[in-house]
Amino acid sequence: MWDRLREWFRERKEKLDLFDETQVDRQDNPLYLLGQIVYFAWIAVVVSGILLMIWYEPTTHGAYNSILRIQHEVPLGWLIRGVHKYGADMLILAITLRIYRMYFLGEYKRPNELSWMILFGSLVLAMISGLTGYLLIWNQRAFWAAKVVLTVAVYLDELPLIGQTRFGSAIAFAFLGGPAEGQGTLTRFYAIHFGISALLLVAAEIYFYFTRRRRFVLSPTALVILALMLVVTSYVFPAEMGRRADPNRTPLPILSDWYFLALYQYVKYTPPLWAGLGPGLLIAYGMLVPFLDRSKGRRPSERPFFTVVGIMALTYFLVFTALIMFNIAVIGRDPHVVLLVTAATLGLGLVLEFRYRRRRKLAEAAAPAPAPRAAPARATVG
Amino acid sequence: MNRRTFLKALSAVPVLGGLGAFLAPVLRYLKPNLEPGLGVPQGKVPPDLAEGDLPKGEPLPIATLEELREPWSSKFFVFTQKYPQYTPELAKAATVPGVAIKLPWKLSFPGYKAGKEPTDIVVFSRICPHLGCIFNYVPNWREVTAGYGGYVPPEERRHGLMACPCHLSIYDPADREVPGRVLSGPAPRPPRYFTYEIRDGVIVVTGAEPGGIA
Ligand code: FES
Repeated sequence: MWDRLREWFRERKEKLDLFDETQVDRQDNPLYLLGQIVYFAWIAVVVSGILLMIWYEPTTHGAYNSILRIQHEVPLGWLIRGVHKYGADMLILAITLRIYRMYFLGEYKRPNELSWMILFGSLVLAMISGLTGYLLIWNQRAFWAAKVVLTVAVYLDELPLIGQTRFGSAIAFAFLGGPAEGQGTLTRFYAIHFGISALLLVAAEIYFYFTRRRRFVLSPTALVILALMLVVTSYVFPAEMGRRADPNRTPLPILSDWYFLALYQYVKYTPPLWAGLGPGLLIAYGMLVPFLDRSKGRRPSERPFFTVVGIMALTYFLVFTALIMFNIAVIGRDPHVVLLVTAATLGLGLVLEFRYRRRRKLAEAAAPAPAPRAAPARATVG
Repeated sequence: MNRRTFLKALSAVPVLGGLGAFLAPVLRYLKPNLEPGLGVPQGKVPPDLAEGDLPKGEPLPIATLEELREPWSSKFFVFTQKYPQYTPELAKAATVPGVAIKLPWKLSFPGYKAGKEPTDIVVFSRICPHLGCIFNYVPNWREVTAGYGGYVPPEERRHGLMACPCHLSIYDPADREVPGRVLSGPAPRPPRYFTYEIRDGVIVVTGAEPGGIA
C-alpha cells in the first residue's frame, strides 16, 4: 500500500508541469502560453507588492489614506499599484483559463493528476490571496466582502456532529482576530496575503531547482508585450479606490472582485450553511475530478458527461455574474429554476454519456479484427 | 491484518499523539483572546470574564417618545459593546448599529419587559442575521421592491420593511407573532432585538439579545 502510493507519486512527480514550461513546442497555440503568463503575472505581482509595502500602512485609520497617497502623490505610485492590481487579475484569469483548458482537453488524466491538483489548489490560494489583499485597501467593498465570507464559516457549526466542536466560529474568530472586523482582521489578512505568495514562491523555486527547468520559456517579445499590457492598463484605467470602509453602513448593492461575483449571487439563493458547503463541494469536485473521470479518451466528445458538467459550470459563472451586476434576484423563484436546470443538464450529460458508450461498444464489436493491435498503441499514446 | 502491519499501525499512535501535542498550542496561538489576567499591563484591571466572552455595553438613550410619534417613523443609533480581548485596553469595542421603529399597532416584543406588556415600539439590531451586513429600515415598501431584487410584499404587509443590501433578505418589523419575521431571502431567523426601557419619555437601550458574530 505504502509502496504503491510512493510509486504513484514518483511517476506523477516526473510528469509535473506547473507553468507549461514543457510545452514549448506548442506555443504557437496561445492556450499553451497560459502557464507562462501565470508565472509572469505572479512575479510582477510579487515585485510590485513588495514595492507597495514601502508606502502602505496596515492600520484601520491609515490604510485608505496611505493608498490614496500611493495612487496620487508618490511618483510612479499609480504604476506600481496598477501592476499589482491588474497583475493579480491577469494571474487569476490565466489560471482559470488554464484550468478550463486542462479540463476540456482531459489534460488532468494520468499521469498529470498531481499537476492538476496543484494547479487547482493554487487557484483557490490565489483567490484567497485576492480576498485578503483586497481588504488591505479598507474600502466599503472589501470590508463587507470580508465580513460576509468570514460569517459564512460560522454556519459550519450547524453541521451535525462536527458542528458541536464549534470549529466554524473558531475559524471566523481566528481570521477576524477578534469578535468583529477591525484592526486584528487587517493585520491577519496582511500576514496571509503576503504569506501565501512568499511560501509558494519558495516552493516554486524548489520545484525549479529539482526539475532543472527554465523558469521562462516565453520569447522576450511575448514578455515585453505582457509587461506593456500591464503598464498601459494601469495608465488608462487607474486602479479603483472605492469608498472608505464604514462599519455602520452597507452599500447597496455590494459587489466584490470579478471572480467572486458569481459566488455572491449563489449566496443569495441558498440557505447560509450551503453558502459554505457549495463552494467546498465545488473545490472537492475540482480536486477529485481526475479520479472521478475514468473514461479513456481525452477529447471532449469522448467523455460527454464531464464535458457537460464543465460547460454548465462555465455558463453558471457567466450568468450569475451578469445577474449580480444588474442586481436581479427574485429569491422566491430563481433557486427553483437553478435546481431544475442543473438536474436537467446533469440528466442530459448522463444520457449522452451512455449513448456514447453504447455506440463505442457497438463499433468495437463491429470491427473486431484490428482492435487488439490498436488497443496497446492507443494506451501508449494516452 | 498481519502482525507486521499491526505493529506498524501501533507505532503510529505515539507519532500522532506527539503531533497533536504539538499542534494544540499552535492552534491556540491563533486565538485572539488571552486567558483572564494573563499579561495584564501595570495598573490595569483585567476585564471580568466571568461570563466568558460575552460582550457588555452601557445603557444608551436613543430617542424620545416625542420623536417617534408618527407610525412607521424610525431612528437609527449605534450601540457600543465591549468584548474582552488582548489589546492594550484589554477590551475591544465593537459597534452594533440599531433602529427603533414606531408601529401603528401594539404587539408583544421580547425586548420590552420580556414581552409581557404589549408595545408599539420595536428596537432591532441592524446586523443582518444572515451574514452580518448592516440592513436598512425602508419606510416605503415600494423602494424595497425597486432596490432589493424585486420582492413584492403581500397586501397586508405593504408598509415599512427592513431590507438587507447584501443578499436581499427582507424582514417585517411589525409581524404580530414574530417581530422581524423573514419575508424573503436567505436569512435563517429574524434579526436580534435590543432590550429597552422607557425612562421619563426617553427610550433607553439597555442591552442586546445575546448571540454570536452573525
Ligand atoms: S447579510 Fe443580509 S442578506 Fe446576507
